[in-house]
Amino acid sequence: MARLVLDNITKSFGTVQVINGIDLDIAHREFVVFVGPSGCGKSTMLRMIAGLESVSGGRIVIGDRDVTHVAPSKREIAMVFQSYALFPHLTVAENIGFGLRLANTPKVEIDRQVGEVARTLQIEQLLARKPRHLSGGQRQRVAIGRSIIRNPKVFLFDEPLSNLDASLRVQMRLEIARLHQRLDATMVYVTHDQTEAMTLADRIVVFNAGRIEQVGTPIELYEKPANTFVAGFIGAPSMNFIEARIDSSGGAPIARFGPASIPLTGTGNRFPPGDVTLGVRPEHIVFAEGRTPDFEATVEIVEKLGAESLVYLQTGFSADPVTMRVSPEHPVKPGDSLPLCLDRGRVHCFASDGAVI
Amino acid sequence: MERETGVWRLVFLALPLGVFTVLVIWPLASSFYYSFTNWNGFSDNFEFVGFLNFKKLWTDKLFFNAAVNTAIWMVAAVLIPTLLGLGLALLIDSRIPGGSVFKSIFYFPICLSAVVVGQIWIWIYQPDWGLLNVAIGAVTNTSPDFAWLAKPDTALGSVIAAWCWQHTGLAMVIYLAGLTSIPEDLLEVCEIEGASTWQRLRVVIIPLLTPATVVVVALNVINSLKGFEILYIMTGGGPFNSSDTLAMHMYNESFKKYLMGYGSAISVVLFIVALTIIGIYFRELKKVDEIYG
Repeated sequence: MARLVLDNITKSFGTVQVINGIDLDIAHREFVVFVGPSGCGKSTMLRMIAGLESVSGGRIVIGDRDVTHVAPSKREIAMVFQSYALFPHLTVAENIGFGLRLANTPKVEIDRQVGEVARTLQIEQLLARKPRHLSGGQRQRVAIGRSIIRNPKVFLFDEPLSNLDASLRVQMRLEIARLHQRLDATMVYVTHDQTEAMTLADRIVVFNAGRIEQVGTPIELYEKPANTFVAGFIGAPSMNFIEARIDSSGGAPIARFGPASIPLTGTGNRFPPGDVTLGVRPEHIVFAEGRTPDFEATVEIVEKLGAESLVYLQTGFSADPVTMRVSPEHPVKPGDSLPLCLDRGRVHCFASDGAVI
Repeated sequence: MERETGVWRLVFLALPLGVFTVLVIWPLASSFYYSFTNWNGFSDNFEFVGFLNFKKLWTDKLFFNAAVNTAIWMVAAVLIPTLLGLGLALLIDSRIPGGSVFKSIFYFPICLSAVVVGQIWIWIYQPDWGLLNVAIGAVTNTSPDFAWLAKPDTALGSVIAAWCWQHTGLAMVIYLAGLTSIPEDLLEVCEIEGASTWQRLRVVIIPLLTPATVVVVALNVINSLKGFEILYIMTGGGPFNSSDTLAMHMYNESFKKYLMGYGSAISVVLFIVALTIIGIYFRELKKVDEIYG
């Protein structure tokens, strides 16, 4: 069983604390993705799990073993780096069998295991080549091969697809997902690409400024973000934020912004009067179509993406454009004035400190 | 328009090409020319003697002695600074206290001219009050007065030591640059895979330093081929030709015995040796380039 437990992990560089008390329990065979903006501490956390970075405080447990101060090679982990980290002077076969060679494994056994891994990753025909003569995707496969051959309890991926082009990234994403299904291992994956996070993860951990903002399944994070940071970070295009004021004078709470008055579900107590931020996903802004519109907006730009179109709207109540997702067949064009409504059951309400109400 | 650009190219290339022709091509061609003559270096009257000068090389014991010394000189002058430079670079890269001070100290000798280095080491090797004998005396509690540069057994080795002292710093600096260019994540892979210090060095660091090694070896080969001044200053090829190299032998034959034709034949041999080494170097460089880009 390869459960991974992070218990109150802290990390400081001098007087600067970059990881502030991370607690996380990752189950055996779980695929957990760390996401967050650059400098949020997600890669540092991964490197601490690998043992490449020392821990300032707290405990790391893999399986039943406290590995906090154990050497990286004894942690039963394997790591795939963003840069692939292949040795340029070694062939693909030598790169994959690198660890076995260091362990003085007999050559016959190294060849057998390398062949097996190469078959799994469909890179048998590349075994004699040097990394320089491989494409980005092939290099990444070799790097994954080197980690598979270790038969680790925990796989660590540090932004492994960042250097690949868009189409190859989708392909490799699929391969990593297949690999996870096939292998009996726990995987921790770091990325700043939230599409990768949403598609690969059993659970996503959203990091910000060395803290965990929220942990949950991709759908939980998308539908029930804990705060404005998670709400804004998860989902592409981002959630729209609208500054509003809660008015509970009439009993039921009403959010007012510009000309709009949106009755909110819930009691007056849950929505205390005052300033709030409303969060609305682009697909939850809809055409009024006969209903009384909540507000009117002017179309600024239309992005036609094929499967859908994104419409950027100018409104009287927000300095930033409001994004709306529409069907690609819709004949909307810049300059149109649109009567719009919010899908009221899907409006998120955040307090002034950013936390969801 | 294209023709005009071509003319300008010729104009701008004319100066460097002119300098190169006067300082390199012309002397080289002259050496080849005079190697087939019996010119004494002064007289207008000389004759073509065909391959006579080259035939003479086969029977010239001093030439063979110089060739053997040149081989010893080159192997030592390439290997020792390369290995010492690598060792020092690894030591300084391991962040020993005062590393940057040592780096400056070890690099300093390369800033000196060969004449200054030669003179410093002549003082160090002085039989009566030289630093080396004084140090040996202090350790062994004796009063040695060994004449390091005056004995055939030790003269060449003593000059090689001075040469290595001067050139190790350059190798060290190049290796240090090579070490900093090794991607950190490759070393981290070693950590994760459990490589011992020796395995890390043998399987990863030294192979990854190949581009640096190619530069260091090339520089050492070129410098050692040109290594004339320090030998001239310290021993002049003596005693009894024990530190005579091909370059020194060529100089002695051409400018001391006034056998310019024979000296030119020696210089042609030296040129062919250098060309062969440079050819091998470029072949290896191509291989390195294919692996490391």
